[in-house]
Amino acid sequence: MNKTKSFSRYAVVCSLLVILFSACTKPEKTLPIFGERNIEGSDTIYHTIAPYSFVDQDSSVITNATFKDKIYVADFFFTSCRTICPIMKTQMLRVYEAKLSDPEVLLLSHSIDPEYDTVGLLHDFAGRLGVKSEKWHFVTGNKEDIYKIAQTSYFATAMEDKSEPDGFIHSGAFLLIDKNQRIRGKYDGTKDDDVNRLLNDIERLKKEYEAK
Amino acid sequence: MKQNKHRFINLNSKLIALLLFILFSNCSRNSEATRFTSEIKFRQYYVQGQLLYEQHCSNCHQKDGSGLGLLYPPLNHSDYMDQNFEKVICMMKYGIKGELVINGKSYNKEMPGVLSLSDLEVTEIATYIYNTWSHQKDSIDISGITRILNQCSQQ
Repeated sequence: MNKTKSFSRYAVVCSLLVILFSACTKPEKTLPIFGERNIEGSDTIYHTIAPYSFVDQDSSVITNATFKDKIYVADFFFTSCRTICPIMKTQMLRVYEAKLSDPEVLLLSHSIDPEYDTVGLLHDFAGRLGVKSEKWHFVTGNKEDIYKIAQTSYFATAMEDKSEPDGFIHSGAFLLIDKNQRIRGKYDGTKDDDVNRLLNDIERLKKEYEAK
Repeated sequence: MKQNKHRFINLNSKLIALLLFILFSNCSRNSEATRFTSEIKFRQYYVQGQLLYEQHCSNCHQKDGSGLGLLYPPLNHSDYMDQNFEKVICMMKYGIKGELVINGKSYNKEMPGVLSLSDLEVTEIATYIYNTWSHQKDSIDISGITRILNQCSQQ
């Protein structure tokens, strides 16, 4: 009688401990991977950023290789924009300042008005913003290439529309790209809260690579 | 008779005192009323001005007026604003190109104007930006703004 009682008490304590431990070690959910995926044999092939080649504010050629083994945040803007871009740049500057000393994280802003936004103009813009070229690349290039990569690789809207006040329609999205060139998050670059979430997700993404 | 005269004087002086009192109280009530309406007007301009500021200006100059780097100059502390009231009024509507030195720093990005702004709206924005942050210019009169705007459109 006594034995069964002590056994059941033991069982209760044990199961409590198990519950406690499992709660403690519950792994943080990993970030989603955006886009279509295909199964090839035993491998899953995820959507990645297509090959590209643009030029940044220092006339350096920027390709996918620039972001090898880097996490980066991408967006689309133009320097003469008065609507959402200045807010996006204020928010991106927050990301820049938060990750300035983190060599794993880079920023990439594409101009969707590349004919007007020449290398010289982007150089002036970045300089006036007071940011370093090796951390934050402002790129220009072939307009069609930029629109195409925006829409098909980053799933971001970017197009010319003369009926808009500034002549373009574009989304204010910030996209979080992992070291395998996959999209892992999409954020509203005009909202403080969303950018806080991005800052948090960058750390989560880094942990994912540390665990490997 | 003497007493009668005295009474008359007494009555007279009482009447004058009463008249003076009415006059004065009326006067002070009047000026209070004017002050009251001008204060309401100031607040109306200010509230509308803030809405218009957030609609047309704060994307670049920021809600707190701090600007952004050397791209968009600050408004919260600005020696340029203090010294160039008329130019500031003109550039709201007609924009400005070329270099501006603000608090000792050079800014050189074109600012597009907002041509659709009415004289009243410019007055409202001016009331807001010149009475917020470090500025205390008090009420701004629309007729003065109209005069300034007429001059800049002639340039």
